Amino acid sequence: MSSTAADMRRDVPQAAGGAGDDIAVRFSGVAKRFGDVVALNDVSLAIRRGELMTLLGPSGCGKTTLLNLVAGFFSPDAGQVLIGDELVNNVATYKREIGMMFQNYALFPHMTVAANVGYGLKMRRLPRADIERRVGDVLALVKLAGLQERKPRQLSGGQQQRVALARALVINPRVLLLDEPFSALDKNLRASMQVELREIQRTLGVTTIFVTHDQSEALSLSDRIAVMLEGRVRQVGAPAEIYAQPCERFVASFVGDANVLRGRLDRVAGGEAIVALGDARVKVSAVPLTGLASAAAVDLFVRPEQMQVSDAPGPCASVGTVAAQIYQGGHVDLYLDSVDSVSGRLLVRLPGHEAMTRWPIGARVNISFDRDTAVAFPA
Amino acid sequence: MCARDHVGATVKTQPFLRSFVTPAALCALAFLIAMAAVLQYSLRAYIPGSLDPGGLTLANFTALLKPLYAQVFLNTVWICFLTASYTLIVGYPLAYALVHVRNRFAKSAILITVVTPLFLGEVVRTYSWIIVLGNNGFINSILLQLGIIETPFQFMFTRFGVVVALVHVTMPVMVIMLAAALSHIDRDYLEAAESLGAGRIRAFATVTLPLSMPGIIAGVTTSFAWTFSAFATPQLIGGGQVNMISNLVYQLGFASFNFPFAASLCVAGLALTLAVLSLLRLATRPLEKMGPH
Ligand SMILES: Nc1ncnc2c1ncn2[C@@H]1O[C@H](COP(=O)(O)OP(=O)(O)OP(=O)(O)O)[C@@H](O)[C@H]1O
Ligand SMILES: [Mg+2]
Repeated sequence: MSSTAADMRRDVPQAAGGAGDDIAVRFSGVAKRFGDVVALNDVSLAIRRGELMTLLGPSGCGKTTLLNLVAGFFSPDAGQVLIGDELVNNVATYKREIGMMFQNYALFPHMTVAANVGYGLKMRRLPRADIERRVGDVLALVKLAGLQERKPRQLSGGQQQRVALARALVINPRVLLLDEPFSALDKNLRASMQVELREIQRTLGVTTIFVTHDQSEALSLSDRIAVMLEGRVRQVGAPAEIYAQPCERFVASFVGDANVLRGRLDRVAGGEAIVALGDARVKVSAVPLTGLASAAAVDLFVRPEQMQVSDAPGPCASVGTVAAQIYQGGHVDLYLDSVDSVSGRLLVRLPGHEAMTRWPIGARVNISFDRDTAVAFPA
Repeated sequence: MCARDHVGATVKTQPFLRSFVTPAALCALAFLIAMAAVLQYSLRAYIPGSLDPGGLTLANFTALLKPLYAQVFLNTVWICFLTASYTLIVGYPLAYALVHVRNRFAKSAILITVVTPLFLGEVVRTYSWIIVLGNNGFINSILLQLGIIETPFQFMFTRFGVVVALVHVTMPVMVIMLAAALSHIDRDYLEAAESLGAGRIRAFATVTLPLSMPGIIAGVTTSFAWTFSAFATPQLIGGGQVNMISNLVYQLGFASFNFPFAASLCVAGLALTLAVLSLLRLATRPLEKMGPH
């Protein structure tokens, strides 16, 4: 199998030169509207060669539209789409050398697995023997060896998914496009397919654009994430960066769980600001708070695992009452009622299971934060 | 068996259907009696000059083997074949357009053009074709006026003329069946084909066409059966020069009053239809496998 992977691997420039030609797909100033609906508005985004870039955003934010612009099912109203160095705005889909996996797989129902997977090679007029060999190789790669003669309807959902992936990969596409590929699978299968996709993508080094509205999938799978809202890209960065340093309110609340607490701007010093909440003085980045007057109301975003509870008296950020406990196996989620929370509720995530007995429902607790992990936005 | 279970289930879940059972059974009975009468007539001897048939005999069927009649049978099959083929060739693009055209007016225009023949009687339709195809008809007048031909082109009383009119008659069924099949083909299949490097034409040939095969088979089979019983069209446009089975039945039954022989023609015609349809089914079985299910 490793030789297979080596055969199929594209020449990925390993040198981290940061040269401009390291970009596999580039959108610059792309806009697209459907009638009155603005699907994309001035999107600029560069996807590096070999990386897995996730387009993440709520339904209707333009993810599929952006993906379809790479596929070429329509062209942008404004701006440029480049694959490699080639401007593809008006290049027909079938000339683009892309691999696309559809949400419903779109396996040709009248063809066998082998014919489905070999379709792209047949269109490229490869000799039969080559097609057969490459189909066998890629089926082995997706762990479907020996199923060549089955029809799609004789396969399970997970197997159909692998066939769809194999069909898109076998042509050595310049870009692999995946539109919510796992949304139809149950939770366990989805998790194992995610791991597998990641492995295959790494081995082959194929540039991949992955669309999802599931933030946890995006966090676990991506090299980088582009968070989208209402036709615009709001933030691009590695998962940890998006999670820890969201650049705006929407990103902070859309990616990962966040508690929102109402505090006051204490002072701004250089790039840092201090927010006052109860007895606590929380250090946050000043960038999102630019222009705010001292003592202005700000919302502090704190991740559930960055909060601590205690019953020892003393200075603390806030106080709350345990309203519910949810046992999650590896950790416990405590829901607290707190007046400082914008929603009235706070979620605290504590490791282990001792928290179940330590913090019974109705217990009054003091809440504090880990140092320097919160972000703040104008209220 | 399966079908009966299904009907049974439908009746059970929709009790109002029960009130239709009796009339349906009566109708079926009437048809059965008519069929039995025809079959019975076909086995009786013909007494010239009398409307009453004579004793039991197989003479009618042996007479059918005469080249004169065999020729009409062959001719009928051939006309059906031509009609089904031309209807398919013209109907497929129409059905495709009907399914894929976005503009609502264009869609309605196609639908109306295609479906109108259903609303006109066969006789009215056939007369309009006489106006179009006649020696002084629409086509010939134009061709003569333009100086493209010097003598009128003979459409009337030719097989070609008959087939043209029959294609028109059959078109609605064909287009509706093809459109039904085409509209069930997911657009994603085409986009998948294109993303894999197939141009429009190759995507059509490798995906759309095979996936619409069940519709093609249904359309062709129905056209075939539909055309087999054609009467007014070959009668009026063929004018006795182009005879199909129905025309022969008419001549024997109502010109010569040879009811037994006409009846045996009917029975043989029915048998031939069934034979041809089963052959067609057999021949298309491998093609059917290409379809989606
Ligand atoms: N073919 C189309 N015709 C008209 N409007 C469209 C079309 N395609 C997309 N839109 C609109 O453009 C906007 C963006 O759609 P898009 O499919 O890109 O969203 P998405 O982010 O993929 O959403 P989802 O997560 O629901 O798939 C939506 O408002 C949608 O209604
Ligand atoms: Mg989408």
